Amino acid sequence: MAVADAAAAPALAGTDAAGRHRRWLRTLEVAVPSAVIVLVVAACFLGPLVLPVPPPVGGSVLESYLPSFSPGHWLGTDPNGNDILSRILHGGRSSLVVAVAVNLLGLLAGGTLGALSGYVGGAVDTVIMRVLDVLIAFPSLVLTLAVAQSLGASRTNTILALAFFSIPAFARISRAATLRLREQPFMAAARLCGTPGWRVLLRHVGPNITPQLITFGMLGMGIVMVIEGALSFLGLGIPPPAPSWGNMIAQGQQSLSATPMLVVWPCAALFVTVLAFNLLGETLRARWSGR
Amino acid sequence: MAPPTRPAGSAGSRPPAQGPGRVAHWTASPSLRLVGKRLLMAVPIVLGVSVLTFWVLDLIPGNAAQQLLGAEATPEQVAALSADLGLDRPAVVRYLDWLGGAVTGDLGTSLVSGQPVTPVIAERLAVTGELVALAFVASLGLAVPVALLAAYRPNRMFDRVSMLVSITGLSVANYVLALLLVLVFAVQLTMFPAIGFVPLSESVVGNLHAMVLPATAIAFPLFCFYTRFLRGDLVDQLQGEDYITTARAKGIGPWQVLLRHAFRNSSFGLITVVGLNLGTLLGGTVIVEQIFALPGMGQLMLQAINTRDATVVQACVVVFAVVAVLANLLADLLYAVLDPRIRYGSR
Amino acid sequence: MHEVSLLLAALLVLAGCGGGGGGGAGSAPAAPTGPPQRGGELTVLEDAAFAGSWPTGLDPATNTTGGANISMMYAIYGGLFQMRANDDGSNAEVVPHQAESYELLDEGRTVRITLREGLTFTDGTAFDAEAVAFNFRRAVDAPCTCSPTWPLAENGITTDGPRTVVLHFTRPFAAVINAFPVTNVNWIASPTALQEMGEEQFAITPVGAGPFTVVSNQLSSELVLERNPDYFEEGLPYLDRLTFQSIGGDQPAYQALLAGQAQAYEGLTTTPLLEQAQEGGRLNVTVQPATSPYVVQLNTAAAPFDDQRAREAIYAATNFQAISQGLFRGMYPVSQMFTGPGGLFHHETVEGYPPYDLERARQLVSELGGLTVNLGTLGSYVAEQVMTALQTQWQEAGITVHIESYELSTLVQEFNSGEWQAMLQTAGAWDPAAGVGVAFRFSSDSPFTGVHDPELDTLLQQAAASLDPAERDRLYLQAGEHIARNAYAPFGLAFAPANLATEGVYGPGLTTKIPPIVVNSPILWDEVWRVQE
Repeated sequence: MAVADAAAAPALAGTDAAGRHRRWLRTLEVAVPSAVIVLVVAACFLGPLVLPVPPPVGGSVLESYLPSFSPGHWLGTDPNGNDILSRILHGGRSSLVVAVAVNLLGLLAGGTLGALSGYVGGAVDTVIMRVLDVLIAFPSLVLTLAVAQSLGASRTNTILALAFFSIPAFARISRAATLRLREQPFMAAARLCGTPGWRVLLRHVGPNITPQLITFGMLGMGIVMVIEGALSFLGLGIPPPAPSWGNMIAQGQQSLSATPMLVVWPCAALFVTVLAFNLLGETLRARWSGR
Repeated sequence: MAPPTRPAGSAGSRPPAQGPGRVAHWTASPSLRLVGKRLLMAVPIVLGVSVLTFWVLDLIPGNAAQQLLGAEATPEQVAALSADLGLDRPAVVRYLDWLGGAVTGDLGTSLVSGQPVTPVIAERLAVTGELVALAFVASLGLAVPVALLAAYRPNRMFDRVSMLVSITGLSVANYVLALLLVLVFAVQLTMFPAIGFVPLSESVVGNLHAMVLPATAIAFPLFCFYTRFLRGDLVDQLQGEDYITTARAKGIGPWQVLLRHAFRNSSFGLITVVGLNLGTLLGGTVIVEQIFALPGMGQLMLQAINTRDATVVQACVVVFAVVAVLANLLADLLYAVLDPRIRYGSR
Repeated sequence: MHEVSLLLAALLVLAGCGGGGGGGAGSAPAAPTGPPQRGGELTVLEDAAFAGSWPTGLDPATNTTGGANISMMYAIYGGLFQMRANDDGSNAEVVPHQAESYELLDEGRTVRITLREGLTFTDGTAFDAEAVAFNFRRAVDAPCTCSPTWPLAENGITTDGPRTVVLHFTRPFAAVINAFPVTNVNWIASPTALQEMGEEQFAITPVGAGPFTVVSNQLSSELVLERNPDYFEEGLPYLDRLTFQSIGGDQPAYQALLAGQAQAYEGLTTTPLLEQAQEGGRLNVTVQPATSPYVVQLNTAAAPFDDQRAREAIYAATNFQAISQGLFRGMYPVSQMFTGPGGLFHHETVEGYPPYDLERARQLVSELGGLTVNLGTLGSYVAEQVMTALQTQWQEAGITVHIESYELSTLVQEFNSGEWQAMLQTAGAWDPAAGVGVAFRFSSDSPFTGVHDPELDTLLQQAAASLDPAERDRLYLQAGEHIARNAYAPFGLAFAPANLATEGVYGPGLTTKIPPIVVNSPILWDEVWRVQE
């Protein structure tokens, strides 16, 4: 969210009350979402080690469907008697790991591909772009279903499938950024110095396009987490009884009107986390695009 | 999957390059050349997609016969039905068989029902098409005025609130929104139907009434995305571009500047994004269609994959691919029409 | 900014709570307060995963999902036979409907079915023995698990006069009549219409002699029917119009019923929704008598279950009572053999059935030096929950359990490879010899069996061939005891889906109980009626 100054900024920006207020807001904009993300990550990865929560699977079926705020089960239990708070925390681990892995893989593979394509240009560029076009035009549903049904639904397969489909987007961003970069004088200078291509890519292109890729990755975090839920709806994604926010929502909604809290808690967790990533990504994008 | 972005060299941050000052002959028109080139490109893309799909589908265990007969079928029954359906022929033969028909416009007959695929696809496409169209109209129709108003007075109340709502809305999954809408508006308030589709031929009002909730579920995240995108672009224009400063210096009022100058440039980016979205959205409506029991393309493809109805899956995938390619092409064309620099072949 | 998220959460909670808190005082009265009324329209929802899917059309001989579509088929074709029961589900029996009577001769090797006088299809042509024989011949070869498993002799389908069809079997088949309502030989299509329209068109707009005729048919989506004015039953059907609509699952179906968009739903399996519907008071909930219990098939042909001690450890570690209580609020009784309380030949306890005994289980596991099991099931909401519960129980006994939810083709692959160890399935039917029968899970020559025991084979075959119910009862009990003695497969709760109906809607099988012959209860749509306002 850009808090770019309105038309006429005062010449002595930063010394008056308005300037201080603006600086404080700018700090908050990064600090608050980051803090939320850190909190969520800490809760999910450290929480179960510190808090007295039962394990997320292996609950007694005689303790099923306990309501929220029951003794020993702060958020209640699911149909198999598993503690929901515990499942939210462990599920967060899964959802976060999947989101990070997908975006990291996509960034590395897609980013490299796009940068290569943009830098080298010519036939290589055309071929890569057309192949990516095919990938974009290919309904990902078919492939994801195919993977899930032939190789079995699992966390790894989910990550691979989603990463595969995030490559074109990262590649496009990376290519656009590389193309813009190519016109810059320092790039011409590097070439004139006789710097080999790979070195240019690594030491000049790379660091310069990384900020854009990272902000895109931030936005991608939220998107992947939501899509993982969508996959669980269709019976793909992380297979139960291992929890993930997505599959908790998908399972819970099958009896939504009778057991709304089974859906509300993971929805809330998902929403807060995705919102934090989106806000942070947006702020970074505004900052790093220089406005 | 990931949010679409503007392609390389999109509008905004560069001053117009020097180009030929006169109108080029129409046969040498770059935009027509562009269209021709892209149409030619579309063919191998669609072909590539169809081959890939067929191969992938073949890799999944099971076939239409097994899926139809269910868990209590003996292997002999499955083998007999497979032979009936022609599934024991090698993959290449089956694919070429289908391709031969598809090229002449006959998308084949469903392995499962024996009925011709083309009319079924036409029906389903109409439903999903209507859903997507309504969603786009609603989301764009709201996003443009909201973004304009927000960019008019950046960082004031309206801007902040609308950006907040946008980013919040984007953080809600569309299936969660769909479920919520049904619970509140269909079950509790019974203002709208919870499921079902009324064909336009039966009742226009009924049709629209039934489409309100599903279209909203799809339109809301789109609205949020477009609002943020457009507002961001407009503000970028208003603050960074020399031509804006010039316009203001000339005394042109702020609304004029916004609408006739900044928006005109920002619309390129928006159009491209919409085009990219459209292509991917057709398959993305599956869950919403499922929740509202709409007989659309997403559902058709899901059912076809689950029943291993290879012919129908092929046909659906080809339709999606063609739509995606055409949508992109349309966006690029509109882009060329609106941006004289591209039309006259500069840079 | 978090206010918006709180608002959303609050809306969800409000919406959720509101749905359950209404009415309150128990379910709507099941008994109608007056005689059936003629007229009105009804929309019934069917689960897209089962009955709501008819991708191959509705021709009895080409509908590969006929066994799931018994409701639509009955509405269009009626049935030679029909299942009736008392309102509480007791005394269920299969009686002639479009047939007038039947006889089993030669100890069951000959079956004579006599039709009613003067029946016609809706296209005016005669519903006579020739038409029935024509249908039988087509149906017997159909690619459907709903085609009958008749041990037909050569040219075994003949006619004897204009109203009698004769079947010649090579050996007696006890369930020949009992299986009719769920097999495609029950649904007689007009041969004339079939020949005129051609098979493809006929599958879309079939012609039968049932209570309703087809107005429009969108495969696996919507089927619209209207009253057949020439239906042979005087005064029936009550409804003017009947629409079948496919829906994605229990939750959207429940919402659609509450929203007033449909009046009936077949096959509700989600327990919390069932409870909410019962407590809500706005819908009529009819839980059908259970006929098919869960069974944990154990593969005795491979390790670890080739060792009887391992199998007994499973029996001792399994507590289906707790599962029934925890997952299903004790709604479903636990069986010890392949029959359920709603079915024929049911015995609640089986002598020699190894009971739940955690200590014994632990002891056996340590004797074996540890036990690792791969447990699988065909993916479904209920089955997965049961499988998860079993995993927890077995782990308490020291057994290491890996669970997996398979989709259909992979499940079949697992069985075919012979490497499977334990599978959670359902077994049996109202008549254990109907449908694919118990033999499917327990007979040596079935590809999906875990048992290879000639003694058991004999018992099941004899029971399927005897015409004397008492003898069949004795034989099936013996089979159950044999299975228990050898610890071949522990049985679980007998699960039966429920039917929902809105207020003012009544009908046999819908608001009264009729045991499901295989999965869904056969609803008699010609007798379903609605209170007119």
